[in-house]
Amino acid sequence: MPYLSECEVTSHHELSPGHYRLVLHCPEIAQDAQAGQFCMLEVQQGYYPFLRRPMCFERIFKDSVSILYKIEGEGTRLLSALSPGQSINVQGPLGKPFPLEANHARHIMVAGGIGIAPFPALAEAIIAKLGVTPEIIIAARTDSMLLCEREFQQMGCKIHLATDDGSAGQKAFASEVLRALAPGPDTIAYCCGPMPMMKATHRVCEDLGVRCLASLEAEMACGDGVCLGCVVEAKVEIEAERMVRVCYDGPVFDSALINWDNY
Amino acid sequence: MPANLQVNVGGLLMKNPVTVGSGTFAYGQEYDRYFDVSRLGAVTTKSLSLKPRAGNKPPRLVETPSGMLNAIGLQNVGIDVYLREKAPWLRNKGCTIIGNIYGYSPEEYAELARRLEAEGAADAIEANLSCPNVHDARTARGCTLVAQDPQQVTAYTQAIRAATKLPLFIKLTPNVLDIAEPALAAEAAGADGIAIINTLLGMGIDPETRRPILSNIVGGLSGPAIRPVAVKMVWDVAKVVKIPIIGMGGICTAADALQFILAGATAVAVGSYSFRQPDASMKVIEGLAEYCERHSVANITELIGAMKV
Repeated sequence: MPYLSECEVTSHHELSPGHYRLVLHCPEIAQDAQAGQFCMLEVQQGYYPFLRRPMCFERIFKDSVSILYKIEGEGTRLLSALSPGQSINVQGPLGKPFPLEANHARHIMVAGGIGIAPFPALAEAIIAKLGVTPEIIIAARTDSMLLCEREFQQMGCKIHLATDDGSAGQKAFASEVLRALAPGPDTIAYCCGPMPMMKATHRVCEDLGVRCLASLEAEMACGDGVCLGCVVEAKVEIEAERMVRVCYDGPVFDSALINWDNY
Repeated sequence: MPANLQVNVGGLLMKNPVTVGSGTFAYGQEYDRYFDVSRLGAVTTKSLSLKPRAGNKPPRLVETPSGMLNAIGLQNVGIDVYLREKAPWLRNKGCTIIGNIYGYSPEEYAELARRLEAEGAADAIEANLSCPNVHDARTARGCTLVAQDPQQVTAYTQAIRAATKLPLFIKLTPNVLDIAEPALAAEAAGADGIAIINTLLGMGIDPETRRPILSNIVGGLSGPAIRPVAVKMVWDVAKVVKIPIIGMGGICTAADALQFILAGATAVAVGSYSFRQPDASMKVIEGLAEYCERHSVANITELIGAMKV
């Protein structure tokens, strides 16, 4: 059940230009939250911005959650001015979490840019619940946009870095790095990032017979399955079921369900 | 003694004047996780069509200053699923139901109204003659809506009127020169109430890509940005019709709702703001009660059209 809570900002830091980590004290939400779920942040009071901003949980602690975000527009720019001690209204947890499936020997997370955001929590959950240590591909446009390397090192994850410009790790796209890791039918992949990056990751997984879960992002008004604004097209013949809601049916989907031709 | 908030909207008794805008509350279940939705004067459903609809392709929604533009395209479960799965839940919950309907012809509207009445799945019908998002905006004249043509409003209203004895509300568009004309047409054709306003037509363009922001190009603007327009249209219509008005357009607080009531609305609907604040409609009800107490108003009906000029 989602809560509406006033939560205190306990810390807020810029990690690299335009990228922030926000930690919120929210015992009720933290207690229920699972990796892959998200919350809706009320950026400030009043009608500008009019809508909340959806943000997934980076990590889930006993009484708090952390959120990673990148300044993309006015809402996130205003959000970045929040200081520790101030409070913010948070609605959550919302959406379907990553399923934790024990029948895979190898777990590979594929992150593009700020798409790294849900993976620290997922890695912790996989380690804690499944007793397996996942690998992670951290890909971004350039060196300064590679986030969370230290966190994954501390968890003991095998890390594969890639940048579009070759400033760190391999000069390659995330999907190419994944293919080179030779995942097989015993592997499960999790991807999050820009749509073209997830589309390419899905194609690689499809080729190699790898189950792939994609965590999608969309502009949304309600975060709760009501407004139908955040839908993506699924490969479903039945008219009534073709448009799936990122907020409510997702944000985590089996990548085979999504019609990637649109991206 | 607490004020009496009950209102009679063209034969529909509501325990308080607050409902929700069609399409901003789905079929009630989602927001019941935040508050008891049976506390609402009525739940207004998402527009129901005879067949399920997938709606428009994304992107369907974009935020605007103090509001949002949407082009959902009436995605809905269809009347069969509504009758089988949604209405029983609302009934079991004890909700008063305004069933909002959408069709492609007067006959389709009539059929929808008949079925809702026959199955006891609505206490009133709200006919959406004004959705801007189900037409091809690329054509030269853009979209035309039934509610933009008073003659068509007459024909559609008559057809639905003949099909049901339930209180019938006609939901009109603000995208007209004179909102009084379609309102008068609906009244003369037997409507029991006027629901105003639907969204204002709008669009956005991304200068970087030079492409429209919404896949449908054109969408409907809602939220506090349109509230002054809506209040004025309620006032315009209240001056000429005798049937009650359900006022809506950017209502976020009880003070907003009171503007509509003072302008002449008998009931009000909280729309897009529920997306921001899921329990906003309940807070409006509480705020109306508090206002009545503070102003020694015994019956909220005393406030209808009570603007001092």
